[in-house]
Amino acid sequence: MTDSLLAVRGLSKHFISGNETVPVIEKLSFTLGQGQSLALTGRSGSGKSTLLNLLCGLEWPDTGTIVMQEQVFDAGRARGRGTTEAWSALRRQHIGVVFQEANLMPALSLLDNVRFRARLAGRDPKNSEDWLTRLDISELAGRYPDQVSGGQRQRAALAMVFAMEPALILADEPTGSLDRHTSDEVIRELFSLQVRYGCSLVLATHDAELADSCQHHLDLGHLSGV
Amino acid sequence: MIRYMGFILLSGLLAGCSGDAGDDGFAGLAGLERGGGANASAEVDYLQPGPETSLNFPEDFGPHPQHRIEWWYLTANLKTESGEPLGLQWTQFRQALQPRAKAESAPAAADWPLQAAWMAHAAVSWRGSHHFAEKLARGDIGHAGATAVPFQVWLDNWRLSGQPDSNLWRLQVSDDDLSYDLTLRIKGAPIGHGEQGFSAKSAGGEGSMYFSLVDIAITGEVTMNNETLAVSGKGWFDREWSSQLLKTGQKGWDWFALHLDSGDKLMAFRLRDDSGSFRSGTWIPAEGTPAPLTADKLNLKMLETREGVPVRWQLRVPAYQVNLELLAPPGNYTNPGLYPYWESAVDISGSHQGVGYMELTGYSD
Amino acid sequence: MTGIRSLYQRFCRTLLLPWALLSHYRRHPWQLAALAVMILVATMLWTGVSHLTSQARASLDQSEQAVAERQQVVRHDGQALRTDDFVSLRLAGVCVMPWLEVTPEAGNRLIGIDPLAARCFGDGAEAPGSWEQPLDGRPFVDIHAAATTDGIRESQLSLLVSDTTRAEALPPAYQLRRFSAGPDTGELGDSFLLNLEALGILVLLIAALLLRSVYLLGLTQRRNSFALLHRFGVSPDRVQRWLMLETFVLALICVVPGVWLGRWLAAGLGSGFGEALDNLFDIPLYAGQGQSWLTPALVMLAVVKVASLGDWLWLRFRQRLFVPAPVWAGVAAMLLLAGLVLAWLGPSLFWVFAAVALVFAGVGWLTPVAVARLAHWQAFRSEAPLVRWRYRELAVLVRRLTLPLVALQFALAMVLAVQALVTTFEDTFDHWLEQRLAAAYYIDVPAGSDSDEVANWLAGQQTETPGMEWHRVVRGHADFVDAGKADGQQVDVYALAPVSSLVRGWEFLEATARPWEHLAAGEGALINEQLARREEVGAGRTIQLDFGGQSLTLPVVGVYPDYGRPVGEVLLNADSLPDQFTPRSESYAITPGVPGIGPVVEAFHQIWGVQSLPMRDSDTVRELATGVFDQTFALTRAMTLLTLVLAASSLLMMGWVFFSARAWYFRLLEVWGMPKPQVAAQLVRLSLMLTGGIAVLALPLGIWLTWVLVHRINPLAFGWSLPMAVYPVFWLELGLLSLIIGLSIAVLMRRQLGRPGVAPVSANTLAGGER
Repeated sequence: MTDSLLAVRGLSKHFISGNETVPVIEKLSFTLGQGQSLALTGRSGSGKSTLLNLLCGLEWPDTGTIVMQEQVFDAGRARGRGTTEAWSALRRQHIGVVFQEANLMPALSLLDNVRFRARLAGRDPKNSEDWLTRLDISELAGRYPDQVSGGQRQRAALAMVFAMEPALILADEPTGSLDRHTSDEVIRELFSLQVRYGCSLVLATHDAELADSCQHHLDLGHLSGV
Repeated sequence: MIRYMGFILLSGLLAGCSGDAGDDGFAGLAGLERGGGANASAEVDYLQPGPETSLNFPEDFGPHPQHRIEWWYLTANLKTESGEPLGLQWTQFRQALQPRAKAESAPAAADWPLQAAWMAHAAVSWRGSHHFAEKLARGDIGHAGATAVPFQVWLDNWRLSGQPDSNLWRLQVSDDDLSYDLTLRIKGAPIGHGEQGFSAKSAGGEGSMYFSLVDIAITGEVTMNNETLAVSGKGWFDREWSSQLLKTGQKGWDWFALHLDSGDKLMAFRLRDDSGSFRSGTWIPAEGTPAPLTADKLNLKMLETREGVPVRWQLRVPAYQVNLELLAPPGNYTNPGLYPYWESAVDISGSHQGVGYMELTGYSD
Repeated sequence: MTGIRSLYQRFCRTLLLPWALLSHYRRHPWQLAALAVMILVATMLWTGVSHLTSQARASLDQSEQAVAERQQVVRHDGQALRTDDFVSLRLAGVCVMPWLEVTPEAGNRLIGIDPLAARCFGDGAEAPGSWEQPLDGRPFVDIHAAATTDGIRESQLSLLVSDTTRAEALPPAYQLRRFSAGPDTGELGDSFLLNLEALGILVLLIAALLLRSVYLLGLTQRRNSFALLHRFGVSPDRVQRWLMLETFVLALICVVPGVWLGRWLAAGLGSGFGEALDNLFDIPLYAGQGQSWLTPALVMLAVVKVASLGDWLWLRFRQRLFVPAPVWAGVAAMLLLAGLVLAWLGPSLFWVFAAVALVFAGVGWLTPVAVARLAHWQAFRSEAPLVRWRYRELAVLVRRLTLPLVALQFALAMVLAVQALVTTFEDTFDHWLEQRLAAAYYIDVPAGSDSDEVANWLAGQQTETPGMEWHRVVRGHADFVDAGKADGQQVDVYALAPVSSLVRGWEFLEATARPWEHLAAGEGALINEQLARREEVGAGRTIQLDFGGQSLTLPVVGVYPDYGRPVGEVLLNADSLPDQFTPRSESYAITPGVPGIGPVVEAFHQIWGVQSLPMRDSDTVRELATGVFDQTFALTRAMTLLTLVLAASSLLMMGWVFFSARAWYFRLLEVWGMPKPQVAAQLVRLSLMLTGGIAVLALPLGIWLTWVLVHRINPLAFGWSLPMAVYPVFWLELGLLSLIIGLSIAVLMRRQLGRPGVAPVSANTLAGGER
């Protein structure tokens, strides 16, 4: 428990659709240690994105407990302002989220996006350029998101996430809209940086090959603990 | 002659019971009937003539303030010096807003009373064109009124006046583009229509007092658009008064006053209603006693219309071997006043020759 | 066979396209509704405004007509007129109507008229139209009702004749005289209405901008559908044609109820106006609904078409002529500059109106560009990423909301200008009334009466009566002799004696030291603004007047404003008038002091031996005049505020739509761990910066517009200027209003963000992805 970054116990989430209650996640439990990676697979609608949202406090579970960096979030307890703020603080400083698209503020240049994110996390924005260099897009620093390719955008998104020096990265199909080649490159960067900086990763993906690259695998179609 | 339709409207507006009173300038008087007559004895009712009412001269040349409506009316078939026909009309109406007994004195002029409204029309038709003027006034102020002795009917500077102990009258009318000054030589006694002057206007017995002077020789001057013409010819003068308005359903009025070359005169009218018409008239032979004509003795038929107005008629009185065709000269003879109506001379052909006048109401809409 | 098949295919293709285009609205009915509502509301606004303007004009015309000068008949012997006089004149064929003014012990003054007698005035322009109306109230009542009113304190019969009546037509015992029931407001009202109409055009422009913004929004949101159609091989021109048809049909459907609503609105506002006029005159002087439906409907259809087609035409133009953006900004700046210069120097009304158009075009063009630039510059200056983000977002906002922002800016500027204009007019009108009606009573000297005796009596009286002030006014003509010209121009002479304190409160446009003292000493003359402008004569110069051969040379000691009078006028001391001078009229201005006007009237009756005195009471006149103007002003304010409300609600709507499209990026802030209240605060700051900035930018435009209306258009149109005033408290009010709009956008947006499930579902189609 002490070296685990994230522990999930009996997590359930359902949605109301018309008169029906549709369970999305039922009694899910797993633990993820520091520096470990976990792949989430399952068909569309199996709850990958919902689980990621739950893991960063953007959504709230119906039952269960999430322990993140030794902070306990119990669905049984009322969701107060303190909890919301605690999740906000975690996202600001420790949890980096990468979506399939639109991870960047369109009105800011790539560099400004990275600096913005770093500054929010309380890191020194001066290192932002280094991150762009590390992700091989330093020459695009002054461009705006709509002036670069999808792969370059996702690289910038990775630069943003790593610039905040996160403990956990939640990636939701981060290369889902890229071609195979670009996707491979971006994923390679992701894994290599994750390993180098020792942060944990939860990766939601359709790609079985990609899932195999992770240390752990959770198929939400066939639920099992990790 | 009778302008029932117009007066219905006029009295409707004056009494404020017309729904669309705002359409006319006269609407200014809406609602005034009740308060119009100062504090005069409002208990007096309108008098309604009947078959038992008789004519009295010369009083009946003057006004009848206890009757609702009355008029003085002259039509003339004249000729210019070059022999061209010229038709002429003058009418003055009185409309009571509040009846007043004859014995009662008129309200003070300084209070600007409104017991009666007066309206005068003047028209001249010549060479197919028609000139018309209209004047309005409130009664009892002094600028409009009538007296029997001496005989005077006036509105502003328009005036018909008789001389005491004389058969000469003078008619003066002056307006912007129309004026005339005529001398009327009255021949013969007044002719009472219907039963000693009571002229029925419906089968139900409604009617009015009605008499005419049918033999008038006229000379004088007519001025139109700064051109003065010397004229002479014959005229027909009507007096009529009543308190009843048109019966429900009556739509309009066709009236004829004819001078036949034989020296005979003929008056005929027809009141149209939804189901048919009420006809009446008087045969006035050159010699002898006038004879009232009931509906069965009088046959009237429209032959031709001009823009909706019947301008050619057949008039038959079989009892007197009269079979006439009446035709208005070319032109439009509508009097475009507050209440428009048709007023034109007619030429007579058929069993007799002659001239006359025709008044038609209720065709304008 | 193939023919039929190809025909069928063509048929399908023809129908498929509109179907595909319309399917967008099937999925987004609210967009269609918003467009329809915008057309409807814009139509309503403009119809309402143009209707109100025409009503204001008609009402003003009527009220002016009611108080305008007319001709009356009076007796030569000065005796009061009676019913007998009316009768004799009518019998003589004179078209005369009675006007019986009675003041009861209790209640308001009544005016009795005789509608039957008024018939002879005819239906022409000189017919005193108002008594063709039902006489259902007061003061215009039937003359019988007026004559028999209970407890009459004062009663005076006047006999009005038509303006064409000539003195020769009257019987010998009578003469003609001017008749006036109130002051002639002259060109003051005309000038006001000219400005009002100019503003009506501005309202139309604002409506067009708003329509265009909604239309463009619709186009943006349908971009995907168009792209899809394009991929299917439909040419953009065909899509464009169908879109044109679509907007035309939509406009047709919405314009008619819009016109109806506009008339309803105008009737609602106008009836308040009518009621107020009724209270003043107690007669429906208010001009009812006379305007046709067709004009506003056609105008609005045209505006909708221009608003939607403008885009198409403009794009074609731009495609053919590629010009980089900075050049466009330069063109806009040139337009603005040219407009400003032209407004300053424009020689005629046309050029000044053209200048206004240029300035508005330039400002409308430059404002969004300038604000966006400014925001970029601010972002560049700042090191803090959050501040930088905020300014960059602002720049995007300004570009995306260009049209509604410009519309709001124009509306704010217009409201500002109208407020200043109306208040200035009110003040001016008050001054004008003060100047004209300084004394409590004005009594005309009857023709043939000895004026000096009265003057002596008044002079004797003044020493004994506290608070009494009076002067004699002699009016006539003189020729203004200009050395350079052969013929002198005729000017009005307004001579006073003594120069009482009643006039000494006048304000001057320019004056030498102690002008009144010079005038009292007969050592100077005052001239009005028109004369000063026309002859280019200022204080200190010398003028020469010719009175039938005898001339008078005097220095100009002051120039006074004489609002709305087109005629040049010279104010002199009556004692210095030469013998050749023939007075046209004489009157006395009297403030009677403590004992009241009673003893004065009595003395005048005795001295002149007449029973009736032509006397005007300035309180009544003032009350009558101000009431009418107050209402007209209120109407104008209502109209401009309505425009502002529309512009504001349109910005609100567009802002909301825009923010909704961009909601994901605000959500991103939350994902990045920014606490919700902070995200909300960012939203508020952003929208406040937007609307507050626009209000600040509207201020110079509004002040400039006021200046143009007051200092350029008015002098060019009427030859006299108004004082220019500014009202900072009103600016603050407008600023506050703008901030409220900003706050409302933020509040709406926050609710939007509060909903769960905001995600970049299809980020590449996200409308809010602009930078």
